[in-house]
Formats: sequence, structure tokens, C-alpha cells
Amino acid sequence: MSNAPADGSTLASVRDWFANVGRIPRIVFGSFFVAAVFGAVINVVMPGSRASTVVGIFNTSFVESTLRIAVPIVFAGLGGIFAEKSGVINIGLEGLLIISAFTAVAVTHLLGGDAQSAVWIGLFAGVLASTLLALVFAVLVIEFRADQIIAGLAVWLVGLGLGPFLSIVIWGSVNSASIATLNTVTVPGLSQIPVVGPIIFDASPIVILMLVTIVVSWFVLNHTSFGRWIEASGENPSALDTAGVDVHRVRYVGVVLSGVLSGFGGAGLVVGRAGRFIGSGQTMIAGDGFIAITTYLFGNYNPLGTAAAGILFAGLDALQIRLQQIPFIPAPTELIRLVPYVSVIIVLAFVGYTRLPAEAGEHYESGEE
Amino acid sequence: MSDRQYPAPVQRFLRFFVGNSVVERILISAAALVTAIIVSSIIVLVAGYLSGEAYNPIEIFAVLVNGAFGSPFALDSARLFTEGWSPVNFSMGTTLKETTLLIFAGLAVAVAFRGDLFNIGVQGQLVLGGLAAALALVWVAPFVPGGLVGTLLLIPFGLLVGAIVGGLYGAIPGALKAYADANEVITTIMLNTIATGTAFFLVSAYFADPTLQSVKTRPIPDFARLNGIVFPQGGQFSLVALVLALLATVAVYYVLRYTSFGYDLRVSGKQAAAALYGGANAERMVVSTMTLSGALGGIAGAMWSMMVIGAWRQGVPSVGFDGITVSVLAGNNPIGVIPAALLFGVLKGGSNAINFQLGVPPELVAVLRGMIILFIAMPEAFRMLGNRLGIKPDPASAATGGGGNE
Repeated sequence: MSNAPADGSTLASVRDWFANVGRIPRIVFGSFFVAAVFGAVINVVMPGSRASTVVGIFNTSFVESTLRIAVPIVFAGLGGIFAEKSGVINIGLEGLLIISAFTAVAVTHLLGGDAQSAVWIGLFAGVLASTLLALVFAVLVIEFRADQIIAGLAVWLVGLGLGPFLSIVIWGSVNSASIATLNTVTVPGLSQIPVVGPIIFDASPIVILMLVTIVVSWFVLNHTSFGRWIEASGENPSALDTAGVDVHRVRYVGVVLSGVLSGFGGAGLVVGRAGRFIGSGQTMIAGDGFIAITTYLFGNYNPLGTAAAGILFAGLDALQIRLQQIPFIPAPTELIRLVPYVSVIIVLAFVGYTRLPAEAGEHYESGEE
Repeated sequence: MSDRQYPAPVQRFLRFFVGNSVVERILISAAALVTAIIVSSIIVLVAGYLSGEAYNPIEIFAVLVNGAFGSPFALDSARLFTEGWSPVNFSMGTTLKETTLLIFAGLAVAVAFRGDLFNIGVQGQLVLGGLAAALALVWVAPFVPGGLVGTLLLIPFGLLVGAIVGGLYGAIPGALKAYADANEVITTIMLNTIATGTAFFLVSAYFADPTLQSVKTRPIPDFARLNGIVFPQGGQFSLVALVLALLATVAVYYVLRYTSFGYDLRVSGKQAAAALYGGANAERMVVSTMTLSGALGGIAGAMWSMMVIGAWRQGVPSVGFDGITVSVLAGNNPIGVIPAALLFGVLKGGSNAINFQLGVPPELVAVLRGMIILFIAMPEAFRMLGNRLGIKPDPASAATGGGGNE
């Protein structure tokens, strides 16, 4: 699978992409690069100091936990792109994540909870549940012209209600029993590559799937006719209609894809890392679905930028967990925990303007006007 | 699609409902409610079957509603009424307590919706408003004479502090929306988490009651609380609060309907350009709408501190999120907020009854909430169903009846 466009050299296409990817991802990648150089310098110049202890947080295991935390955010963010680009704003991503996480744990539990096969079946059951809920949402907004925001809110509330309720029915508590998680996949040979090897080729299959999905989504949206239909369906549906493509069908596919991908996000969270469903408060998803919406706004509907933003948020989360373990960091943990949320607001305040697809949120009926 | 399924008078009668937009909203809400109950019943049946317990949905809903009012009906005996039932009872107090809080939260969301703003942040405004009111009362109470004078001074003061802090916290996403074009749905969701985390930190680090292990402020002195007058003291419900909630509803209705501010607010929501030509400052309108919305949320929080807890503690219930449901069910109409809040008050008040009497998890109410919003979101489905049954909107009023009549 090549992620370079057919024309031009690889370097030129990287530069092209960097120029087109949007301001936020550029800032993100730029700061990653600067931070990496800065960290390396500190480690060499003053080893053993406090500064190098802080820099020492950013090792490969930090990157690994960042990628694991990123799973629900990035999958839901990619799903949100397909829905919103096609013209349907799906603010119910949170509900899709909750329902898929719950279903994955429940099905795995009912199948015994230990065998790897049961965990895999649980994963796909979770994806199925999320897809079905997204399909209901699609019928509501496309067939029955429901208000997309209210229907999306309903999807969230349905997930928020059903997950904990059914947890109590099955386990007698809003929190589930533990299940096994998926074994890591080690690609022989490739996992020996320094730095990148252990991160990408000795990882949870969910993380690998996420990285593949990022690239595939980018390819589909930018280099296939389906990607152009999705774009037209959100920007200029009547033109798409004139060209002989069924707008409703494209939107159905867009919304259902958001269900499939969010399903991998929610189910992947529990079978890849958590190993249980936590239904207290806002459930274990705890706003990841809403952060996912922010990521694709930051990424300007580009899967690569969206993934970068999602990984950045996950990185902030992983960072606050690690900062809590360093004794001489003065800030209280409750406040460090808020860093990702505050940064979303600050970034939105400075780069607030995001251009939605022209017809996003609007119902389209063939032959109106 | 035949018109002749009903005799003419029935047709006219039905047409009146389908054609009229307020009545239509009520009908749609009622239809959504019924459908939600049916679907939730099926979920309950399946859940009961899976867990090996025989849940009876009809019994559950009967106990739910009956329990919310303190069981006026004796469901399992031949006698209709429970002997010695009085409308002043603990369950009724719980139901009305929830109703009161939900009226304020629902109004907060409705005001924002009317200005075409989606304030998901009522929860955060409620958390901080409640904390501010509790702290202010704890600090000020020693300088105020006790007794009735103190009560008359401190209750309005506490509510005002809640409103100001809630309003300021609501103004933040308003200003971000107006001047930086930041989507208020995202910012308010983030601000909810920030409010909860900050309040937890402030109380645990600075304002915790040193005699307690939990994250809770010092208690508000008794004379500065909203105490039960008719209802028993322990019931956490004050009739005064309910009366204030009803007054607030009328006030919001009046402001939206009959003042120039309300006019600008509604027009900015519906027709931003028209509001501009009319001389309204669009940016300032967004900020003031969110401030008013946040102030109402802050009052809900102050009521929670002053009436329910008598202090502020962590673990504020999700009244702010339920306010969204209430407002949507009410069609964002301030007057409609009252029955919608009462409905959810009943669901909450009765959820203990189904738990104690039938062993059904009270989380069922959250399922019902989701289903209600799900079906509220699809008015067109009910209209299409109406059309299929031969109830067509009057051509004259088709404009309010909406599309779907091919």
C-alpha cells in the first residue's frame, strides 16, 4: 500500500501534503519534530538532571500508550469525516463508541471471556452494534428528515442509557467483569527496526488496524470516485444528482461507515486495552466521541490531519498520566488531567473558523427547488 | 393514500391537529413518548429474558408513575386507593425537587436554542454556579443576622451569586462563538469537563470541610437554605423553589415573547441577516443569549446546593444534560418546559420505586430518555404515518404542517 500519489517524487509529495494538510497538523508535526530534537539535546548535554527525567517520559513506551489511547478518538474521528463530508453531521459518535464498547465486552463475556477467538468475535459484534445504531440514525436523518443535531444527541443518549442499563442486567453493576484482551502481533523482522519497529510492528492488532485505516481513509477520500461522491454529496448534492449518482445512497454509506469505524474505536478500546466496560458517570468513553469531532474539525476533514490531532490529544492524555508519576511536578493531578480539554478550547479560540461542507446538516431531496 | 378512511368531521378534527404547529408539537411529543415507552418495554422484556428475570413492562411503568407520587394507588389489592395517602410525602417531594431543578436547566437550554445556540454546557454552568452559591453563603452568613431577616437576605443573594457565576461561565463559549467562531457544541462540552475538574480541585485543595473525608464544602447555615415548608425537612424539596421555577418560566416566556431583547434573540436564531438589518448586534446577541442561558443553569446549581445538599459536594447529578432532553421534548417552548420537566421529574422520582419494589435498575430511566429524544427527532416519520392513515394537513395550513405530502 503506497500512500504517495502517483505523480512526483516522494519528497515532493510529502512537501505537497504538508502544505495542504492545514494549519493545525502542521503545528502538531512541527512541534513533535522540535520537541524530539530538543529532548535529544537535553539528554546528551545534561544526563541525570531533572530536565532529562522529564524528557525521559517521551520514550517508545510513551508513544505506544499514546497510540493505544488514540484508538477510540482516531477511529471515531475518521468515521465522522465520512459522515460529515457526505453532508450528515454525526454528533452521536460518542454513543456509537459506548454501544460498541459495551457490546464487545458483553459478547466476549457471554462466550466465556478468555479465548482469543471470543475476543475477536466480541470485537466484530461491537462493530455490528455500532453499525446498526448508525443505520438507525441514517434512516432518521435521511429518510425521515430528522434534525441531525437532535438525532445525533439521541444516539449519544441511547448509548449512554443502554450501556449502563444492560451492564446491570448482565453483571449486576454498571461496570462489567474483566475479559481477556487481544494478544500483541509481532511482525518478524520488521519489529527489529529501531524505534519504529517495536511501536508499529510489535503492537496490538487494533493499533496496527488504526494506522492502516488512517492511510486507507486518506486514499479512499482523495483518490477514488467514491471519495469524490462523498465530497460532492456534502458540497453540492444537486450536481451529484445531475451526474446520476443517488445522493441518499452516498449519504447512507457515509453514515454507516461512521458507524463501522466508531465501532472499531469503541470495541477496539475494550478488546485492545481496557478489558472491561465501565459504565459509571459518562462511561469509560468519557467524551472521546466529542474530542473526535474536534479532531476532524482541526484536521479540516483530512484523515491524516485528523489522525494527527487525535494522536496529539491522546499524547496529552498519556503525558498527564506520566506527569502524575513524577514526584517534583508541582501541579495537582486534577488540573493536569484538564490539559487536553483546555488546549482544545485555546486552539479553537485561535483557529476557531472551520469550514463545514456547504450542505452539511441540510436534508437533500431529489427534484426539489 | 385515501382521504376517505375517516368521516368528514373526524377528518376536520384531525386536520386541526396536523395543521396547527403548537398542537402539532404536542402531538409529536406525545407520539414520541408513547413510541419510546413501547420500544423501551421491548428492551425491558428482552433484557429480562436474557437475565432470567421475568420483567413485566406494564407493571414497571405502573409502579414507576405510582411510586413517583408516593403510591396513591394500591396496585396489588382490590382497593383502588392507598389508605392514608397524602399528597405531601417523601416521593412526591423527590419528584417535585427533580422537576424544579429540571425546569431551570430546561429553560437554560431552551433560551439558547431559541437563539439558535446549542448550550450543552448547562451542566458546567450548574456545577460552578452551585459551588459559588454554596461558598458565598458559607462566607457571608456569619455577617448576617439569623432568623427570617437573614433568610430573606441570603436566599436571593445565593441564587444571584449562582446566576452570576453560571452566566459568566456561559458567556465564555458565547464570546468564543461570537468573536472567534468556535463551535459552541464543542467548547461547551469541553467546558463541562473543565468545570467539574476545577470545582473538584478547588474544593479538595482549599474549601473542603476539614471535619469530613469527602470532597464537600462546609455546610450552608440552616437559615440560608431553601427548606421544606409544607414538605418534610428531610425531603430536600422546598415549595418556594418550585414557585420560583414557575415564576422564572413565565418571566422567560415574557422576555422572549414581548421584549425587544427577546425579539432580537429569536430573530438572530431564525434569520441572522434580518436581525442585523433590524439593528441588533449579532456578536453581542450571541454573548448575551449564552449569558442568560448560563445564568439559568447557575440558578439550577444554586438550588441544588441550597435545597438538596445544603453544601456543595462532588458528584453533581447530570441535571444539565437532562435539561437538554427537557427542552427538546418541550419544543424549546418555555411554557412547554413545565410539563416536560414534570415528566422527567416523575421518571426520576419513580426510579427508586422500580428499584426497591421490582428490582429493576433505575438506569432504565436513562434508556427511556434516549428513546424519547430518538423519536422526538423524527417528526417527519409521524407526519408520514399520519399521511398514510389519510390525515392530510389542510392545504391552507400546509405551510406550518411542513413537507411530506407528495
